[in-house]
Amino acid sequence: MLEVQGLQKRFGGVTAVADGALTLREGELLSIIGPNGAGKTTLFNLISGLEPPDAGSVRFQGQDITGAVPEALAALGIARTFQHGRVFGNLSVLDNVLVGAHTRLRAVKPALPLLGPLLEMALAALRPPAVRAEEAALRRDAEQILARFGDRLLPRLHQPAFSLSYANRRRVEIARALALRPKLLLLDEPTAGMNQTETAEMQEVVADLKRSGLTILLIEHKLEMVMRLSDRVLVMDNGRRIAEGLPQQVRNNPAVIEAYLGHRHAGAEPVS
Amino acid sequence: MSAWFDYTVNGFVIGNIYALLAVGLALIYGVANLVNFAHGSVYVVGAYIGWAAITHLGTPLPLTLLCVVVVCALVGVAIERIGLRALQGSSRIAPLLATIGIGLVLDQVVQLVWSPDPRAVPMQVPEWRIAIGGGTIGALDLLIAGIGCSSAAVLYGFLRFTKLGWAVRATAQDSDAAQQMGVDINRVNMAVFAIASVLSGISGLLVGMYYNQINPAMSFEATLKGIVALIIGGLGNVPGAIAGSLILGLTESYGIALFGTSYRNLFAFVLLVAMLLWRPNGLFAPRRAAAPEPMVGTFIARSLPVKLPRWVVPVVLLAAALLPLLNQPYLLQIGANSLMYAMLALSLTLVAGTVGQVSLGHAALLAIGGYASGLLALDAGWPVALAIPAAGLITAGLGTALVWPAFRLTGHYVSIATLGIGEIVSLVILNWTGLTRGAIGLGGIPPLELFGVDLGSVQGTYWLCLVVLVLLALLQLRLLSSHLGRTWRAIRDDSVAARSHGVGEDRYKALAFGYGGFAAGISGAITAHVYSYINHETFGASLSVLALTMVILGGMGNVLGAVLGATLLIALPEAFRALAEYRILIYGVVLLLLIRFRPQGLMGTV
Amino acid sequence: MSLHRRSLLLGSASLGAGTALAPRSAGAADPVFVGVSGPLTGPNAQYGAQWKDAFDLALEQLNPAAQHKLQYVFEDSQSDPRQSVAIAQKFVNDARIVMELGDFSSPASMAASPIYQRAKLVQFGFTNSHPDFTKGGDYMWSNSISQAEEQPTLADYAITGLGRHKLGVIHLNTDWGVTSKNLFSAAVQAKGATVTAAEGFLPNERDFRSTLVRIRDSNPDGIVIIAYYADAATIVRQIRTLGLTQPIVAVSSVYSPKLIELGGDAVNGVHVITTFFPDEPRPGVQRFVEAFRAKYNRDPDTFNATAYDTMVLASTLVNQYGPTRAAIREGLGKVRGVPSVIFGTMQFDQTTRRVEGAQYKRLVVKDGRFTLFTGGTPS
Ligand SMILES: Nc1ncnc2c1ncn2[C@@H]1O[C@H](COP(=O)(O)OP(=O)(O)O)[C@@H](O)[C@H]1O
Ligand SMILES: [Mg+2]
Repeated sequence: MLEVQGLQKRFGGVTAVADGALTLREGELLSIIGPNGAGKTTLFNLISGLEPPDAGSVRFQGQDITGAVPEALAALGIARTFQHGRVFGNLSVLDNVLVGAHTRLRAVKPALPLLGPLLEMALAALRPPAVRAEEAALRRDAEQILARFGDRLLPRLHQPAFSLSYANRRRVEIARALALRPKLLLLDEPTAGMNQTETAEMQEVVADLKRSGLTILLIEHKLEMVMRLSDRVLVMDNGRRIAEGLPQQVRNNPAVIEAYLGHRHAGAEPVS
Repeated sequence: MSAWFDYTVNGFVIGNIYALLAVGLALIYGVANLVNFAHGSVYVVGAYIGWAAITHLGTPLPLTLLCVVVVCALVGVAIERIGLRALQGSSRIAPLLATIGIGLVLDQVVQLVWSPDPRAVPMQVPEWRIAIGGGTIGALDLLIAGIGCSSAAVLYGFLRFTKLGWAVRATAQDSDAAQQMGVDINRVNMAVFAIASVLSGISGLLVGMYYNQINPAMSFEATLKGIVALIIGGLGNVPGAIAGSLILGLTESYGIALFGTSYRNLFAFVLLVAMLLWRPNGLFAPRRAAAPEPMVGTFIARSLPVKLPRWVVPVVLLAAALLPLLNQPYLLQIGANSLMYAMLALSLTLVAGTVGQVSLGHAALLAIGGYASGLLALDAGWPVALAIPAAGLITAGLGTALVWPAFRLTGHYVSIATLGIGEIVSLVILNWTGLTRGAIGLGGIPPLELFGVDLGSVQGTYWLCLVVLVLLALLQLRLLSSHLGRTWRAIRDDSVAARSHGVGEDRYKALAFGYGGFAAGISGAITAHVYSYINHETFGASLSVLALTMVILGGMGNVLGAVLGATLLIALPEAFRALAEYRILIYGVVLLLLIRFRPQGLMGTV
Repeated sequence: MSLHRRSLLLGSASLGAGTALAPRSAGAADPVFVGVSGPLTGPNAQYGAQWKDAFDLALEQLNPAAQHKLQYVFEDSQSDPRQSVAIAQKFVNDARIVMELGDFSSPASMAASPIYQRAKLVQFGFTNSHPDFTKGGDYMWSNSISQAEEQPTLADYAITGLGRHKLGVIHLNTDWGVTSKNLFSAAVQAKGATVTAAEGFLPNERDFRSTLVRIRDSNPDGIVIIAYYADAATIVRQIRTLGLTQPIVAVSSVYSPKLIELGGDAVNGVHVITTFFPDEPRPGVQRFVEAFRAKYNRDPDTFNATAYDTMVLASTLVNQYGPTRAAIREGLGKVRGVPSVIFGTMQFDQTTRRVEGAQYKRLVVKDGRFTLFTGGTPS
């Protein structure tokens, strides 16, 4: 489903990603681990179109998507969350999720060149039945997605996101990504900053998504979660892949242990 | 060929003067991450302090300079301490607007103390001149160049080799990190504002001597040219600012050589916009599309809109509809003025508040609307009732097309680009004599009428404006409650996240500018028919600032707030008539207090 | 209406006989009001102040002997159209006001014109030279100097007076500057001379070096400045530092003592035309200048003189034709021979609603003083 080859990205003197390569099969969950600054987030950015790569290629479902703009990738069904959380602070929880469903708008967004935007504005103002039905359907869907998080978010549908707790904002972000009905979901440290209960809840949510057949690329520092969820694990250090394989193999790989011990400030928890 | 040599020399001479301004601006941007719109006002303060010292105290040059240095340093410290420090951590727009407010206050104080009359500044520099080509260069030219270069050199030395300088640099690189390492950011900021203000004040004095003339109105032009030079050189790049100034000077000079004097500023602003588009980081930075702005949108104060009891809006609306019955034409005229500005504020609150594109050139949309409707009525003989909506559509299209290239810019860059585009529109109107009648302006524009019904009376105007405003406001509210509203606000809050979810930024910015252009175009068109005469200055840059103040006063993105803000800012000066010359001063102070104590505006941001 | 300290300034008034012609059933002693819309604050504030001085002087002289005592209500517009239209509503709905004076700038005046025209209140734009101002309607009148008259006079000074035939023109790029420049060019051509270059600059520009290189390279034998005194001073200084030595001739708005203050030595030898010159021996001028000096202890300038003329005219109209709006409108069409500092005597052209026959003086700056130019070759 996703094939990444030879990706490179430099920022001034720093080579953030030196040789990004991975393949991901349909329905698979691949975790990327590695110390801070290893280049994991940059790799996500390259795949999701936020930064153009200096070299290399990305293919998605057989199509070359190297250097494509993020909105085009979203239209293809690639959704992501951000490491530091990027919810729309002034939008309500519901609106955040509805923005995630933007690519699914059909009735209100006629696919015509030039006239399309004007019609979109007219339809937004007039709201014929088809548009209202679509909006209502998306709303129901958004509420269903939010229901995945139990009653963490449902009672707060109309609160602005900036008023939510940190963990809830992370949840909103994931809900927003799911609203896109993605074929591929990129999760960048979804449990960062969460306590144990919250982490366990999040782990359940991700496991659920995996069960439903979603293809997932996960960056995560909490190795326990990685071991439980992943089909395969990829280890990065200094912008390079240093190991890849089944969770158990990777865990015992000396290079991996070295990389983690070598970076003491890494956010990794001791391997249990 | 000798003429070209002369044009080149002249370009350097004027660039030399811009450099003194741009260096200070660059320094402030580098450290405080802020385009200081009060810079030109400090320049004026410096000029007047110098003039007062020479004429009242008879000071010789060194003493004059000392006076200017001391006073301007104090002004700089005051700007930082009183005006800006409290705004750390508030929305990014706040300090920028605060500098606009400070500029307004300083200009007014200078004007109140020394009157708007131009003054002659006695020359205190030897008057010898050397001939270069067909012209001459005097001691003062060399002094200005010397001060420009040596202040750049001293700054460089200060930044490299002193402890405070090290702190300044550290702060410029990463203020959080610097703070953690024990740098006193406030002290650094204060030092920088003092230094930059001194530079600005000295240049005011020297330029005053150079032209033997100063007046309070010269601040705006100075700020504008300084900013253009700053952008060319790269925001925050001190040597770049000097080079940018010389390039600006040369561009203007060659522009005059090729096309004539009236094209001078057109060239300057086209250069500005071109730079923003192709090299937003300046000529001397490596080419990169992304500007060094924080990518996460914090441009809007976080707040909840004020919830009014349900009955308030209908009751106010009813009262507004019944106002003509009072038979108070003066009151009605103020009401009509407020309504016309409320349409402009609606437009700006959508663009700046809802979509986060803080436009400083919004008055240009009024101008396009006014000219479009006026020309359709005068030259094409269209009935007014058709010309006005047509003008709205034309403004929507033209306005959107003009800012389209700027859609990829963010934050301060949007404000500066729109400021430049606004000036370009005004200068094109001035120079496109064949279409717009140039400086003569458009006279004899027919009065308001609706298919034979005369609306030229103040009651008619008021009614028409009220109906149009209510329709526009309802439409805007309707759009805001649709998917467009959340999409616009998502772009504002975090355009990167929005794009990652499939939101095409350009499309939605274009729709916002389209609707905003329509509302502003209608406002300009109605104004044109009410005034019967407009020229390229009728809708000047000061209106853009006024409109922005209305929007902030009401609450960014808030439709009711925009109407309230417009009404207050149009009606209050009339109420303050008794305070005559203190009016603008009071208005500046109110703006500053508002930014400080109620950044979310009266009605809250949406 | 409340009497604000600033907004309402009363001319000197005293008791006297009057008829009951005032719009409200006014008593005999009721004063008659004119409304003034003009800048008292903002960038043009100094002009409003100059008007006031002249108005007060005129009323002080006229009211004691007049049947109808005139007073004025001065509203500060900052010369901003948004405010001038609101003020217009105030005036047209104030039944005491029989005539309006101002605004200062043409855009501010013309924006308010439709309101005055509709209400049939005369708008007397005494500084509005914009050719379209009086076209706003038959209630728009002006005694501002007509550029159609001034520019040929200027051309005559340059061509016949100074023997120049190739003229380079620098003009302000505004409605006034462009109109003037066009009229000047036409007048020059009519006299068989040529305009070698015409360069328009924007208000607030300070640097004219490159403009002057263009002028220089068009090889003029004289340079003509169409601007206000402040800009003119800067331009003249730069002309001289650029080493250009051609004679300089300038329009009447350049005539001001400030020209010499701002221009310094460089303005010596500059020629200007003017409609008002305090040293002119004509008795009408001398009476005004002496009274002004006595009251304010300084020389009046052109703005003072125009404002003075205007208030004299207003008083004349009220007393000759009656203190009603209709009477004033009618009177403007009929009145003849109103004494004027600028014109000698004023009467209005019925189609243009402007005054013709301004008396131009040719001046030259000598040793830092304006002096009457007495022919011969330029210094
Ligand atoms: N926009 C950027 N500009 C400069 N350097 C960057 C940028 N983004 C990332 N880097 C650098 O690239 C390296 C990899 O960062 P990142 O991808 O965030 O690592 P990880 O997500 O594995 O912690 C780091 O050294 C980081 O400082
Ligand atoms: Mg990361």
